[in-house]
Amino acid sequence: MAATRTTKRKAPDWLGLAPFLLFCLAFEIVPIIFLLRGSFIEKSTQQLTLQNYLDLQRPIYINSFVNSIKISGISALVGVLLGTLIGYAIYRWPSRRVQDTLISLSDVTTNFAGAPLAFSFIVILGMNGVITQFLLQYLNYELYPKFSIYSFSGLTLAYIYFQLPLMVLLILPAFAGIKKEWEESAQSLGADTFQFWWRIGIPILTPSLIAGLTLLFANAFGAYATAYTLVQAKLSLVTLQIGYMIAGEVRQNQAVGMAMAVISLVIMGLSIWIYQMSTRRARRWSKA
Amino acid sequence: MSQRRSSPQGAKSKKARPTGWQIAMVGFFLFYMFVPILSTYVFSVATRWDRTILPEGYTLEFYQRAFSASYFASTLRNSLILSIATVLVSLLFIVPTAYWVHTRLPRAKPMLDVLMILPFGIPTVVLALALVQVYNFAPLARSPFLLIGAVVVYSMPFMYRPVSNAIQAIDTRVLTEAAQSLGANIFQVLKLIIIPNILTGILSGSLLVFATVFAEYTLTSLIVGARFKTFPLLLVEFTRINGNVAAAFSVISFTIAWLVSLLILWVGSKGQTTKTETVQAR
Repeated sequence: MAATRTTKRKAPDWLGLAPFLLFCLAFEIVPIIFLLRGSFIEKSTQQLTLQNYLDLQRPIYINSFVNSIKISGISALVGVLLGTLIGYAIYRWPSRRVQDTLISLSDVTTNFAGAPLAFSFIVILGMNGVITQFLLQYLNYELYPKFSIYSFSGLTLAYIYFQLPLMVLLILPAFAGIKKEWEESAQSLGADTFQFWWRIGIPILTPSLIAGLTLLFANAFGAYATAYTLVQAKLSLVTLQIGYMIAGEVRQNQAVGMAMAVISLVIMGLSIWIYQMSTRRARRWSKA
Repeated sequence: MSQRRSSPQGAKSKKARPTGWQIAMVGFFLFYMFVPILSTYVFSVATRWDRTILPEGYTLEFYQRAFSASYFASTLRNSLILSIATVLVSLLFIVPTAYWVHTRLPRAKPMLDVLMILPFGIPTVVLALALVQVYNFAPLARSPFLLIGAVVVYSMPFMYRPVSNAIQAIDTRVLTEAAQSLGANIFQVLKLIIIPNILTGILSGSLLVFATVFAEYTLTSLIVGARFKTFPLLLVEFTRINGNVAAAFSVISFTIAWLVSLLILWVGSKGQTTKTETVQAR
């Protein structure tokens, strides 16, 4: 914005961006700055304080951070591992039409998060769910009460639903970056399949794998609707806690909610930053 | 997706059949993606399905109950209003901005990229909390207007990416200069030259934003809540009241998502044919 005043010649060019920048300022930047400021302020005295952050040491908040990090980490890890294998299977699939269909399917299903998806998992894995019944009647295996869709493990399964296709979409370009000639050259130099993947394939994929891990982590960490529909009060998560504070369902100091929000912003920001850095590295190979 | 063109394995490969582990992996993927959705479709028309492997009978009763639920019409209307308003606001801000940055201000592209990635880094609950705190005065406080601002921010990347890709595919600078040398002003350039050329991107972006906002739950429930009830809010409410009716609502929501996705694919394929046509014409 300062450029508008200093360099007169460029003024009209920058002005073209003004409406959009003002919009971002109003609905993105200013609210976040307010949040940051609010988290460091004692509400009654309006003094600077760290108390809101110190209040987060209460077990309920620590617990929700631990749960959120755990579920995001596990669902991201499973998503990356399975998504990469599925992605490779798709990449090597002989029929182009099947490949395209599976990619389109991933495009659609990765957006199937939220309430309808959560409800679908109740339909299949709830107390009387389709799979629960199938296991009971055909394999004589009682899923409940060891497992519950309304618990940590159930929510993890639901999260993996939207993590898998996202990873497939992320990893496919990385496979395309591994040139067939490299595999052939490695073979002609006497490398077996394991050596090729260990020495060449996986190192090339590594930036994409890290990118996938961080993006999937952020994806799960920020999720709210799926968790709200499935677990509610049964499992404490950061996003659920913040949600309760906005809705006023718990009589908590809103400033504590702000401190919680700021910490999750830092966690998300770090993930997205590592994601960006790794994609930049990964792109080097796909361009080569 | 560029990988579609750069994965010619199948065409050249000696063995035209997928191997066992490939079938297993893809089979697992299809199982995971389809079983929850298809089960919900069947559940929504099943009379009773909690004691047997297959439903005991079939009925459309739950759809009748869903359609006749009080609020059904008004939530659907609210969802449509919210989605369409968001698409319009998004178009108004994003299309001219993307054009401007590509044509006149390439220096600002990195900044725009950061602004577009930002919504991914802000959890929706955090955005809701921040907006509710700042805009706590009338007429914005907890109003549908604030909600529209929030969902525009949240869905911004979905509009920007296809539009910006479409703009990148044509030489906007040359087209603009040519039109201007013939006496067109900037609005004529946009309306007559640029927009028709990037229509595919605009349509894909609009559909993506529409689908995203139509399914949006978090911002809606936390910013406005019951005062402006949308379809996803009604769905969540019914997961606690009546599972069968909730299944019918889920099916409606899945079906809309599939339809919009098919439409996006169709628009995309149309775009590809016109692209090759223009290349051939040259």
